[in-house]
Amino acid sequence: MIEAKGLTKAYGEKTAVGGVSFTVQAGRVTGFLGPNGAGKSTTMRMIMGLDAPTAGSVTVNGEPFAQHKAPLREIGALLDAKAVHTSRTAYNHLLAMAATHSIPKSRVREVIEMTGLGDVAKKKVKGFSLGMGQRLGIAAALLGDPQTIILDEPVNGLDPEGVLWVRNLVKHLASEGRTVFLSSHLMSEMALTADHLIVIGRGRIIADAPIADIISGNGETRTSVRTDQPGRLMQLLAGSGVSVEFHERDLLKVSGLDPRGIARTALDNKVLVHELTPHRASLEEAYMELTKDEVEYHSRVTTGASVPAQAGRK
Amino acid sequence: MSTATVERNSVGLGPAFHRVLNSEFIKFRTLMSTLILLASTALVMVGFAALTAWGTGAEKASADPETAAALAAQGASLTVGIPTSGIAFAQLILGSLGVLLMSSEFTTGMARSTFAAAPKRMVPFLAKLIVVMVSAFLLTVISSYLAGLVALPILGNYDLKLDLSSSQSVKLLIVNSIYVAVVAAIGMSLGTIVRNSAGGIMSLVGLFFVAPLAFQLIPGSFFKEANKYLPTSTIGPLTAVEHVPNTLEAWQAALVLGAWVVVPVALALALLQKRDI
Repeated sequence: MIEAKGLTKAYGEKTAVGGVSFTVQAGRVTGFLGPNGAGKSTTMRMIMGLDAPTAGSVTVNGEPFAQHKAPLREIGALLDAKAVHTSRTAYNHLLAMAATHSIPKSRVREVIEMTGLGDVAKKKVKGFSLGMGQRLGIAAALLGDPQTIILDEPVNGLDPEGVLWVRNLVKHLASEGRTVFLSSHLMSEMALTADHLIVIGRGRIIADAPIADIISGNGETRTSVRTDQPGRLMQLLAGSGVSVEFHERDLLKVSGLDPRGIARTALDNKVLVHELTPHRASLEEAYMELTKDEVEYHSRVTTGASVPAQAGRK
Repeated sequence: MSTATVERNSVGLGPAFHRVLNSEFIKFRTLMSTLILLASTALVMVGFAALTAWGTGAEKASADPETAAALAAQGASLTVGIPTSGIAFAQLILGSLGVLLMSSEFTTGMARSTFAAAPKRMVPFLAKLIVVMVSAFLLTVISSYLAGLVALPILGNYDLKLDLSSSQSVKLLIVNSIYVAVVAAIGMSLGTIVRNSAGGIMSLVGLFFVAPLAFQLIPGSFFKEANKYLPTSTIGPLTAVEHVPNTLEAWQAALVLGAWVVVPVALALALLQKRDI
């Protein structure tokens, strides 16, 4: 179990992580989702005691990482596929890591086989592809057979077979009752892998919920309504918990009220409605919605019909 | 997949000092670049001693009888320095090795693995320091002795004598080897402080090659005095048969050399503890 309380990391003026609190439970895969620069890696480095928090604290299995008697046996982490001297062979790298905890050579060979590195273990890491580097990082994380596993962007650079392998591996590890905390900026990957999702944007937690809730919850049903009297219908619908966006000449987007409720209001007030389409958000849309104000590096897409900004974001 | 024991039974062995030391030694011996630097140090030491022996002999052979007699009268003191004559190169190579072993941790990202495996940062730092200093010491001892063995027959050709077991020979061997170990420790501290290979090696060159020259050239007594406290200046007093005026006493030189280990190491350690990896 990982517990962060008010975890903050500031570099001078810039706040990378701004007082986040969350709990990562054992026995399930917890995804850590956020756009690039959101603070995922910084948070993970603070969990591993590599970066000191500016404020707040984080514990793993009840204790700060550095306090553990045998850290590699408690937590295994893939923080960066490049956390290895590239002039050393994969086998020697793992051997040196294992030596710090008197982990036997047989376990080193075991994780090499487990991660499919058997053929390249005696080769220098320098020549590894990104995918092989990831596998080596995962092998290092598993070395101490730890209860808690932290993987920062583990599927980066993996081929489809490798992606599937990571997905099955983390699910298997979680099914054994381990704590698995896995970051990604790919929501599609998270939808397939994670049971629980913590969404971070610009150093703040935006959502922390089971993945099903994130899909159905934030992706609240929005309804497109076309009417001849958009101004009047907007006034009629607007109220507590209902937000209405004015899109085009005759198009409104309504959330917080189901299509039946909209139709009822329109009928009661004799407003003609000629389209009523409910949209259910996918995780991808939910994620975009969650992080749209939080991404650090916006890419601007210019479309003909620009959408007026709507303030009432949940 | 291993048979997972998910409820942690009693936690297994952790990163105790001797285990981290073993790990650092594995890291040390599994880098080809390290082995190449070690081999080239030995080669340079032996080669330079051979050249010096040849040069000394040739000088004696070509000198007029009077000078040759004077040279011969110097006896052992003429040849005793030959085994360690390549020490300036050894200090540069092994000092750079000290820099590289630490700076490469940061430039390659290995540091994240190292300090995640042993989060009490002092432990891997001191373990690496021991590996660096001991290997620098042993390598200098072995290379100097080999250099002596290679120089012997060359000197013999010119009727010059060298006793490798004389007390002055042993003293030079030990002092120079300790000195090189100190340089390696300073190098490793610089590597920890600047975290950059080029910057670390440049600082090392500045301290060992530029500063002694510059201090000599700058007018005024302050720098002449300060020059005595540079690490390079401690070898003379520590190996002198009798005290040379205007240098430190042997015990002072020993203290100064000791301070050149303690201060950089303490500074490096303090920064390592404080900074993010």
